[in-house]
Amino acid sequence: MTTGMIPTASDVVDVLLGVDDPEYPSVSIVDLGLVEAVRAGEDGHVEVDLIPTFLGCPALEFIATDVRRALQHAGFLQPVVRFVDRPVWTTSRITAAGRRQLASEFTVAVRVGRSAPPCPHCGTIALAETSLFGSMRCRSINECQACGERVEIVR
Amino acid sequence: MGRSWGTLAEFDAFVADGGIVEPIDDMPDEYRQAVFRFIELHANSELMGGLTERDWIPRAPGLRRKMAVLAKTQDEIGHAHLLYMVAADLGMKTRTEMLEDLFAGRGRFHNVFHYQAVTWADQVAIAYLVDAGALISQQAVFKQCSYGPYRRILRRIIAEEGFHMRHGEEMLLTFAEGTTTQRRMFAEALDRWWWPTLHMFGPPSKPDDVLARWRIKSERNEDLRDKFVQKYATLLDSYGFTPPDPELRRDPDTGRWVTGEIDWEPLKATLSNLGPDSARRVADAATHWADSRWVREALESVAAGVAA
Repeated sequence: MTTGMIPTASDVVDVLLGVDDPEYPSVSIVDLGLVEAVRAGEDGHVEVDLIPTFLGCPALEFIATDVRRALQHAGFLQPVVRFVDRPVWTTSRITAAGRRQLASEFTVAVRVGRSAPPCPHCGTIALAETSLFGSMRCRSINECQACGERVEIVR
Repeated sequence: MGRSWGTLAEFDAFVADGGIVEPIDDMPDEYRQAVFRFIELHANSELMGGLTERDWIPRAPGLRRKMAVLAKTQDEIGHAHLLYMVAADLGMKTRTEMLEDLFAGRGRFHNVFHYQAVTWADQVAIAYLVDAGALISQQAVFKQCSYGPYRRILRRIIAEEGFHMRHGEEMLLTFAEGTTTQRRMFAEALDRWWWPTLHMFGPPSKPDDVLARWRIKSERNEDLRDKFVQKYATLLDSYGFTPPDPELRRDPDTGRWVTGEIDWEPLKATLSNLGPDSARRVADAATHWADSRWVREALESVAAGVAA
């Protein structure tokens, strides 16, 4: 934020782009679709509404702390960060950039709607589910019928 | 099509050159075996760790800690699940064979899961020290590892373990800034967990180690252990906690921590599943396996019905 200027919501979003998800370091909370609303008042007051991927997520407090710290570091002195329970998070909120990063860095695919995502390792659409749950309740384990890779899908 | 190598020397050169081996490749048997054993040990350890964590779900103090323990249990079991699949893909043993070996006491798992966690402060020590130590080892393997599927899964495991470490740091702060009783509880837990954590990095490396030769694990055990000691001896000291090593001191010239002589006998005992809590842990895991048999049978009968 430039000193002396009135902050805008897009200044706040710029800061949030630098806050990573604790379980996917290097993927920002903006790309994961956790940011629902940002308000910046003329008095320099900012508010951020976040939505959890699921209500029982144990990372919520870490995420809120990280957001608060990043905003304070950028000069927003008393940011208000809260979690709202509407709308409900779905995988369609993950941006294209977020999906690319999940695939290339974490070998994790994202299912949006009913269509099957391609294998993040070889690119073929050939993932077959072998287990309903992976290391998170929001991920299943799949085997790529083309290259044999064990891939988790976020659903 | 997988690749193949005419001689072992050619394979050595491929790996030394930074090559990544994939499951479809025609890898040498010795390599296949070494990778398999390494991943099987990791899978067993995640499973035993997850079962240990699970014991604390009902006993965790407060809702936030309970959510964290639940998530950690899900993570560890999920990691085990993925690792068993990657290990089974190597064609040495099936997933069921690995599990049956483990529950019959023939499998190996990391030394830290051969001890009893007595109080919640032990869980704090495990989350703060053991998880941090495991992360140091896994990061070193991830950086160099020549086996593709394992390396890609480690990327996700490391991200999740990093998250566990944050919980560990937060739990440690609660105890360090807590009451006299909390500080005493953590000091006692530190007495129990300091040496096992140092043992976890493994005995001093041998020059002819196959893991190093094929870049399965390239960094030496003593170097990884030293990395841990330098960081955590400093941190514990800053919180006013003293590890149970009367010879632990800071070298006045180099500023580096030097530990006393490490007794390797306790590690050897755990390697043969003869650690203080090994028998109970293995029996407990075997009971879980037996108790969940009806679930597997139900799933199999549904799958058979679908196929019919």
